[in-house]
Amino acid sequence: MRKFYVIAGLLVIASMVLAACQPKTVVETVIVEGEPQIIEVTPEAPAGPKVLNVNLGPGDVPTLDPAVAEDTSSITIIESTFIGLTQINEETSLLEPGMATEWESVINEDGTETITFHLRNDVPWVRWNGEAVETVKTCDGAADRMVTANDFAYGIYRNLLPATASPYGYLLSMVLKGAAEFNNGETEDFATVGVEVVDDYTIKLTFLAPAAYNAQIAGLWVARPQPKWVIEGDDCTEARGERWTEPGFFQSYGPYTMSEWIHDSSLVLVKNPFWPGSDSIPQAKIDEVHFTMLDEQAAFAEYEAGNLDAAGVPLADIDRVKADPVLSKELVIAPNLCTYYYGFNTTAPVVNDVRVRRALSMAIDRQGLIDNVLKGGQEPAQWFSRPGLAGAPTMETHPDLGVKYNPEEAKKQLDEYLAETGQTADQLDLTLMFNTSSGHQKIAEAIQQMWKDTLGVNVKLVNQEWAVYLDTIKGKDTPQIWRLGWCLDYPDANNFIREVFAVNGSSNPVDANGNPAGGVMWKNDKFEEIVKQAAVETDPAKRVDLYAQAENILVMEDAVIAPIYWYTRVTVTKPYVIRTFSVGGHELYYKWDINK
Amino acid sequence: MGRYIARRLLYLIVVLLVVSIITFGLMHAVPGGPFSREKALPEETIKVLNARYHLDDPLYLQYLHYVNNVMIPHLTTVPPTNSLMDDYLVSVKIGPVWFRWMNFGPSYKSRSRTVNDIFRDNLPISAQLGTMALLVALVIGMPLGIMAALKQNTILDYFGMSVAIFGVSVPVIVLGPLLVWIFGVALKWLPPTGWGAKPPYTFGFLPSKFGWDFFKFAIMPSIALGLGSSAVIARLTRASLLQTIREDYIRTARAKGLKERIIIVRHALKNSLIPVVTILGPLFAALVTGTFVTETIFGIPGMGKYFVTSITNRDYPVIMGTILLYAVFLVIANLVVDIVYAYLDPRIRYD
Repeated sequence: MRKFYVIAGLLVIASMVLAACQPKTVVETVIVEGEPQIIEVTPEAPAGPKVLNVNLGPGDVPTLDPAVAEDTSSITIIESTFIGLTQINEETSLLEPGMATEWESVINEDGTETITFHLRNDVPWVRWNGEAVETVKTCDGAADRMVTANDFAYGIYRNLLPATASPYGYLLSMVLKGAAEFNNGETEDFATVGVEVVDDYTIKLTFLAPAAYNAQIAGLWVARPQPKWVIEGDDCTEARGERWTEPGFFQSYGPYTMSEWIHDSSLVLVKNPFWPGSDSIPQAKIDEVHFTMLDEQAAFAEYEAGNLDAAGVPLADIDRVKADPVLSKELVIAPNLCTYYYGFNTTAPVVNDVRVRRALSMAIDRQGLIDNVLKGGQEPAQWFSRPGLAGAPTMETHPDLGVKYNPEEAKKQLDEYLAETGQTADQLDLTLMFNTSSGHQKIAEAIQQMWKDTLGVNVKLVNQEWAVYLDTIKGKDTPQIWRLGWCLDYPDANNFIREVFAVNGSSNPVDANGNPAGGVMWKNDKFEEIVKQAAVETDPAKRVDLYAQAENILVMEDAVIAPIYWYTRVTVTKPYVIRTFSVGGHELYYKWDINK
Repeated sequence: MGRYIARRLLYLIVVLLVVSIITFGLMHAVPGGPFSREKALPEETIKVLNARYHLDDPLYLQYLHYVNNVMIPHLTTVPPTNSLMDDYLVSVKIGPVWFRWMNFGPSYKSRSRTVNDIFRDNLPISAQLGTMALLVALVIGMPLGIMAALKQNTILDYFGMSVAIFGVSVPVIVLGPLLVWIFGVALKWLPPTGWGAKPPYTFGFLPSKFGWDFFKFAIMPSIALGLGSSAVIARLTRASLLQTIREDYIRTARAKGLKERIIIVRHALKNSLIPVVTILGPLFAALVTGTFVTETIFGIPGMGKYFVTSITNRDYPVIMGTILLYAVFLVIANLVVDIVYAYLDPRIRYD
């Protein structure tokens, strides 16, 4: 029994010591005391397989099925195991060859665009047999099953099939001819969809209208091959249905394939030696990638313990990492193609006047917010379409576009409104709503203070639980000011400015009669015209120009939203890892290497 | 006693029906649905998704459908398929027919898993952790409480109760990261996160191999989780034992000249255990079905997080499944507690 006292006593003392000390002091003390007692020692890796340990984020990977994937961790695994027709470079966002080595586009007489993709013919389907990666044989056992145009057609078919209930099928419905009708059940005939298999290695896709992003969308995970024989069964394969992505059943063909998946705990990708490799998608250099599924804080502890090779840095640890002589060298702040913004309900009292909206937007000291609250090296956002997207203006070419922190002008705009309506600033009744989270709370409080200091307005803060909040800000009772973020599906400005803020966009929904039903509740004919025109414009310089005009309407002329910051990712990576930094958030591990 | 247990088990069915109706009603009454997204899904997509999960049926039909799937056993000649809609917890072939029972439905969030998969894969881990945490709680709490009671108002008592107050007032969210940091990151004695057992499990819930590879993962979370409960147990034990040792029959025992050790163990302790056992029932149910914070801090793939994430995701089948599971554990644990009462205090009879 005395032992328990000793243990308990030690815990009491330890906690008191730790509570009293600065974290940094403790690092030094404990390491010094503990050094002789290290039990777990990883032996110097002999010339064995190269293994990378990384974290996927908390919770199970929802799916590995390209037909139903919608979240970052699922798509990350799919990017390494299934390759699309085209490939988007994860750092430059430029379009590169994927399974299609070349493609050509024809504009048809009816205004549609047909792209013919020529596929490579040397990629077999593979599976993990428990010991090694092997190719999948045809039923007679004579040959490997190769990835063909039929597999692509099946992948698109399955994604659009109503029974699959794909959450992202609409990306195809948006651009592919006949896809919407097939997806919503108007027709059951897949032949009406603009997908034509010419031969085993040629596929033609017909799009509703010519657009710069058609070839990009054709390469996304929503249009990737799936092994029909595993899903539906054939003469030599048992049908696995929706369970085809489980370990033991899973088949793929990309640079990696999955060998182990312990739900909620870990997932292992192994190198597929049968992937032939190309300039844009090389053979994997690392033999195995081991993923954990930890929340950020736990993953960072594993990184510090030496068990993970790369990890994100939790907000609470950023200052310490920056000050630490070792960790600061392993720290990289890389851009992430997302935008954080506050939207205005342009029909709600007070903010239905553009001068109020402009004043509120201009009174936000974005750099100050980043330096004092966010601390992750984010960039102040002057407009919505994150630079780095095709078609989006950049700070180099458009340094003065959009909205900037300008307290004098903000005050002037608001004073004009106040004089006209005969009110004082503190009489304005304003509410900012956000979804419950300590991060959003901190930002909202900081901005609330900026508004008070600069404009003298008192803005009330209200928060709601996430799913409730989404209903609120996309319904008739949208609050005056609300917050959201937006990340890319495909790296084109169309995915941002048009898909979010054009009429019936994600944050500008309409009801059955076409009337505004929530979000920004906004319609500007000139804006609609410009974003439509920009979508089909083929001259890149002209496109950027059009989007710059649209952004100016969105954030200045009509000031429908207050863009706040452009995201970054704060990561640490061990010095022996050679890596790329994906701007879309889906790392391509086959481009990484380990050099111990 | 047999009749009593049978009656209590029937009563379980009533409890489950009531719990399921309330949960079902509440979760559908809460605004927001399983397909609310930051990037709103098009109406057509939501229609397709609702149709797939029968969410477009009237609520009472959805509920009846659920009860039919979960509670009513099915006899059928149709063999099971790989469909996620068709996953029964009990599925055995008897002659030409299949006996199939308890289909908790697919998860809306994990598109290749069912609630039964979550029970099969994650519940055993929570049960392993919960049982060990309970053992930690008992092994620390009971001696501490006994010591404090027997040496009332001495330094030992104050020390024991200080530890108890420390245990109650330092939550897992503080103790957990602290342990991870000291023993995982700085000293590197133990792995900071993870769990040492994976499916398949022996008898469906025991790790296939016990040993250092299992326990090195379990030590920190069991202590972090068990310490708080140990404090509760220590305080209850102390209070109850203090009351018991002032009873007349203890004085009688002493007057008879029994050894102090026998008086305490056989007469005082046994009779003072009733309040402790009472708390053990719900505590067992809570620890064994999973604990969100502990599992998150230590990266343990248990059930706990599903109690929380299912609600934020509006993952209806998972919400129903986790709540009903908890209800079953709670009712059965309380039944066991009642049976133990009869053993501890012969005056308690149920027939």
